Amino acid sequence: MSRVVVVKHESAISGEPLPVGSYMNMLKEALTVLTGEMEDLASVRKLLPRGAVGMKTNCLTGKLNSTPVALVNALSGILEDAGWNANDIVVWERTNRELQKAGFKLNASSFGRRCLGTDANGVGYSTRFYSAGESSSLVSRILEKVVTVNINMPVLKDHSIAGLSGGLKNMFGAINNPNKYHDNNCDPHAAEVSMMDPIRSRNRLTVMDAVQVQFQNGPGYDQRFLVRYGGIILSDDPVAADRIGLEIVERLRNKGGLPNLAEAGRPATYLRTAEKLGLGVATMSGIDLKVLAVDNKGHARPGKLL
Amino acid sequence: MDRRLFLRCVGCSSAIAAASHSGLWPEFLGGIQNVCAFDSAAGLSSVEARYYKKLEEGGIECELCPRKCRITDLERGYCGVRENRGDVYYTLVYGRPCSMNIDPIEKKPLYHFYPGTTAFSLATAGCNVNCKFCQNWEISQARPEQVDNIELPPSGVIDICKQRSVPIIAYTYSEPIIFYEYMYDIAELGHKHSIKSVMITGGYIERRPLADLFPHMDAIKVDLKSFREDYYKKIVNGTLKPVLDALVQIKKAGVWLEIVYLVVPTLNDSDEEFSDLARWIKSNLGLDTPIHFSRFHPQYLLRHLPPTPLKTLERAHAICRAEGLQFVYLGNVPGHAAESTYCPGCGEVLIERRGYHIVRNTLKGNRCGHCDRTIPGLF
Repeated sequence: MSRVVVVKHESAISGEPLPVGSYMNMLKEALTVLTGEMEDLASVRKLLPRGAVGMKTNCLTGKLNSTPVALVNALSGILEDAGWNANDIVVWERTNRELQKAGFKLNASSFGRRCLGTDANGVGYSTRFYSAGESSSLVSRILEKVVTVNINMPVLKDHSIAGLSGGLKNMFGAINNPNKYHDNNCDPHAAEVSMMDPIRSRNRLTVMDAVQVQFQNGPGYDQRFLVRYGGIILSDDPVAADRIGLEIVERLRNKGGLPNLAEAGRPATYLRTAEKLGLGVATMSGIDLKVLAVDNKGHARPGKLL
Repeated sequence: MDRRLFLRCVGCSSAIAAASHSGLWPEFLGGIQNVCAFDSAAGLSSVEARYYKKLEEGGIECELCPRKCRITDLERGYCGVRENRGDVYYTLVYGRPCSMNIDPIEKKPLYHFYPGTTAFSLATAGCNVNCKFCQNWEISQARPEQVDNIELPPSGVIDICKQRSVPIIAYTYSEPIIFYEYMYDIAELGHKHSIKSVMITGGYIERRPLADLFPHMDAIKVDLKSFREDYYKKIVNGTLKPVLDALVQIKKAGVWLEIVYLVVPTLNDSDEEFSDLARWIKSNLGLDTPIHFSRFHPQYLLRHLPPTPLKTLERAHAICRAEGLQFVYLGNVPGHAAESTYCPGCGEVLIERRGYHIVRNTLKGNRCGHCDRTIPGLF
């Protein structure tokens, strides 16, 4: 069984962005439930081996619906409390411009938490190809050469071709040629990219932002189909995290009177492919789902997925 | 354009991810000292694309190539150089070439188009297919922000040609279809200055944009990668039928056409395929259409295969000649007799070549110097 934890915050229902403190409470709760440890710092140490840790964001839509700076700051804070040096944390994306537009402050210096795109001068892509099945790509050297562990931090969204934009799809931002991989609803490519060695070996944790969820017309921003879900999704199984994300998107679509993704012509079949490849669990019966609700004081109680 | 910029342009070679080969990258975080913020996206163009339609349900459909990508907001097409922004489709590479050089026209190869002349050759990043043997994959399979681009408007290209007395512009190296608007505007402006244009393409293009290009294009060389749909699907990631349609369309339009067929060992080198190809050319394009069989060298994703044996190329040559094709050439085999042009009437050597170099040209205008037969092409 793969465990997935969904933590919702009661104050996230309003339209205001969640502050760092709220994200921190959600993360601490999620981490302890995910690992079964008594406290959050031990959870982090259990999940992530020591070394340079990357945080792969998704900044496609700028400040409108990208990985929140507050979520990244909250997770960085927990890592630092658990003993990581800020110098060993790298927040990254495809391009500097995307990071800046989403509100991140670039830092390519030798001091403090780094924040940079693969296009930063001196970075770039691997000089060798990594292959899995039909897919062959160059991989960001941030992932290949710099970090030893990566936390995948996507935003839960509908995707006009893939059906779902979650953790596996977010890894398209770690390779040089994502535009070549959109045929057949991104299947098998969205699964195969995460099988490529530097990606599979580095990715240890998915922290998916689902405070606001674009359930139609994604991955761009369309306010008409954006709802406040108010949660985050955590798992050390990248496929299971996406499968729960898919469940949320499908239920939101149903609630909004929209056809399901298969009927809309974009079933997220790559999740089943990922399961067949051994990347994780895409079958609901194989997922141990824990849903919690956290209040402003950080107290948690059982919650509902939707 | 000043001399300094020109020299920079002409010396510019392809480079994926500018820094990826720099050797500056340290092994560990403590050593990141040569990294700096660099806004690569700022160097991209925002010129509206010419062939697309808006979809009722939102998004756009590209109408430039048979792939017909459907693209929602902020996403790019398969080529990686066209982006939907608020349901307006933009080319990101207009006036942003990443590779330029002055080449002999024989390098394209075009053997019946002003032999011995030179062509100012340019490319942007991107391609609408993904051939596993691509020799220019570092630019063709890159997004424009992953390579070094310079800003060079169509007038700048014409200036270079005039300053260097280069009579031809070649759109080449990657796939010019994906920088269609830039190519079109250069070609149109070039004709006003008596500069010719040639397109070196895979021919994977829709009918309308191809037809619109004809008035400004003097010659087209099409890379016909195989005569089998299965090969196009597995090795090229495209389809054969639209390429064959484009070949017929070019021929009917009267634009000078030559074909290159890269022979890849074990994948597209059977006698049956060569025969089928020769018969199709005979029936649909005519016996006087030049075809070049090129030697494959291990590249990109086909590094496990050996170079094409010379005997295989000679077999293709023999099959096509037996079928009656009059101008069958072998490429990437410098010094081979099949690099030269022979008169179909008397068999005399008309243009003797060694690699890209012309050793001897006995043509009298467009006629054989021995038997006075008219030789097809532009000489």
